[in-house]
Amino acid sequence: MSQTVLSVSHISKSFGGIHAVRDVSFEVQKGEVLGLIGPNGSGKSTLFNCVLGQLQPNAGAVTVKGQSVSGMRACDLNKLGVGRTFQQLSVFPEMTVLDNIILAGQEHHGTMLSRLFGAPDAGLTGEADRMIEFFRLGHLRDEMAGSLSYGQQKLLDAAMAFMAGPDLVLLDEPAGGVNLTMLANLKERLQTYNREHGTTFVVIEHNMEFVMSLCTRIIVLAEGAVIAEGTPEEIRSNSQVIDAYLGG
Amino acid sequence: MNAIPKWLWIALGLAVLIVAPIGQGNYFTLILCSWLMFTIAAMGLNLTLGYAGQISLAQASFMAVGAYITALLTLNGIHWIVAMPAAVVACFFIGLLVGFPALRVKGHFLAFVTLAFNTLVVLVLRNEDWLTGGSYGKFNMPRPDFWIFNTARKSDVLGIALSSNQKIYYLCLITFVVFAALMYGLIRSPWGRAFKGLRENPIRAESLGLDTRRITLLAFAIGSAGGGLAGSLMSPVVQFIEPNSFALVHSLRILLMVVVGGAGYFFGPMLGAAVVILLPEFLRFTQGYYLILYSVAVIILMVYSPSGLMGIGDRILSKLRPQRVVRGDMKEGAQL
Repeated sequence: MSQTVLSVSHISKSFGGIHAVRDVSFEVQKGEVLGLIGPNGSGKSTLFNCVLGQLQPNAGAVTVKGQSVSGMRACDLNKLGVGRTFQQLSVFPEMTVLDNIILAGQEHHGTMLSRLFGAPDAGLTGEADRMIEFFRLGHLRDEMAGSLSYGQQKLLDAAMAFMAGPDLVLLDEPAGGVNLTMLANLKERLQTYNREHGTTFVVIEHNMEFVMSLCTRIIVLAEGAVIAEGTPEEIRSNSQVIDAYLGG
Repeated sequence: MNAIPKWLWIALGLAVLIVAPIGQGNYFTLILCSWLMFTIAAMGLNLTLGYAGQISLAQASFMAVGAYITALLTLNGIHWIVAMPAAVVACFFIGLLVGFPALRVKGHFLAFVTLAFNTLVVLVLRNEDWLTGGSYGKFNMPRPDFWIFNTARKSDVLGIALSSNQKIYYLCLITFVVFAALMYGLIRSPWGRAFKGLRENPIRAESLGLDTRRITLLAFAIGSAGGGLAGSLMSPVVQFIEPNSFALVHSLRILLMVVVGGAGYFFGPMLGAAVVILLPEFLRFTQGYYLILYSVAVIILMVYSPSGLMGIGDRILSKLRPQRVVRGDMKEGAQL
């Protein structure tokens, strides 16, 4: 039986006279990998920010596991089970890889007081080491995050998003600026994680090959509205998508 | 360098601090007391600024609050051991309130907010003379009597004749050691990691479940409590306090201690306070030139090592260790 993790219902968002998102609705089921694509200015980021509760839509509602996220703070959304990665590099550069990963999980363990008086690692070193190994960063465990290469920092960013064991992870252009070898590594790790843990992903991405091979379903936006939805094969052959986005 | 464990360095430093005032006169002993007090205040600011990345130009005002609360209570017969925690707790909550603007303003705007608070505190101290003694301040605060260790009187302790000033030095030293141990525990704890996360990338930290509002307020509150603790020592050590002792220039001095020592380094404030308080004393033999030499030394340090003296130490140590290439471009890219 399918279980809806994310529900976006009739979302519209305008900035002055510009309609960034127009009446967009979709649902994402548990374990699904949904791709959100569209040309620049199509409303992907606005929709993403509405889903993350950072923008208040003019109309419509967003619920995660049945709970409205409108106006919710990012930390509360994370505690609800939503992880995210960022388009730009977003690690803690002057902390080690291990500390980055522990920080990503520590707020989900114990209370404020137990974190003050408990173990310095919040009892997370073992779990953090497993996550570091999973993302193949084991050899960099004690290095400063700022000293890693761009692709390694992208991997670390992804590892941090998964450390708290989220139900839903929003990946904002995870392939941006990553070389082909590292990209194949990232995609394989995401697929494995999805298969092993049944975590739901929503991916915004410009790299068509990456999206087509990673996602099970794709939604195409153009001028703030959904113009197509379907499997990667259906999207590839959709003439409206080819016209609006793929350029023939 | 790594052959000598860190705890041995700390034990050695502590041993030096224990014997430092023995055989010394009042002037040198009180200079050491001043160094310990300002180190405590600077360690508090180091948490707020160095670890959590929140600028504050109000640390002297928290020393003022701590000093005046301690003075008022001890002059009314309450023991320092009761007055001191009262002062620290008061500063914690006032610091919490001062932290609220930090939720809305950052950088130099926040600096101006805290600067205004410092000025406000000094004005209140000057004008509310029914409570604070106005410009005349408060004086003759009693030094605490710990029964077998009365800091108000000269006596023999373990066969060594100690003056009142030497005993009050040991009170400062014990307070400093306890406070430093607590700060070390705090910085090593998940809270310390959260403070660093707030400094390095608050947006990312919030997205990982960190309540950045709460941690910002705590950074201000705990840092201010450090200022209050330093003030509560100042009251029995100096036995005279007046508003100008806590003017903005003193907040800038404490900021200088943090920056010169190395913001975000545990031992930074200790070194910084030593430079700001002890170096001018050692340079006195140069007579009228000591302030010029001192200023030039600070300017050169800031130009060549913005991460302070600890930063220089780090650079020397990194030269001795196997090389690690730091991608400066990546660091910049990580800022949101």
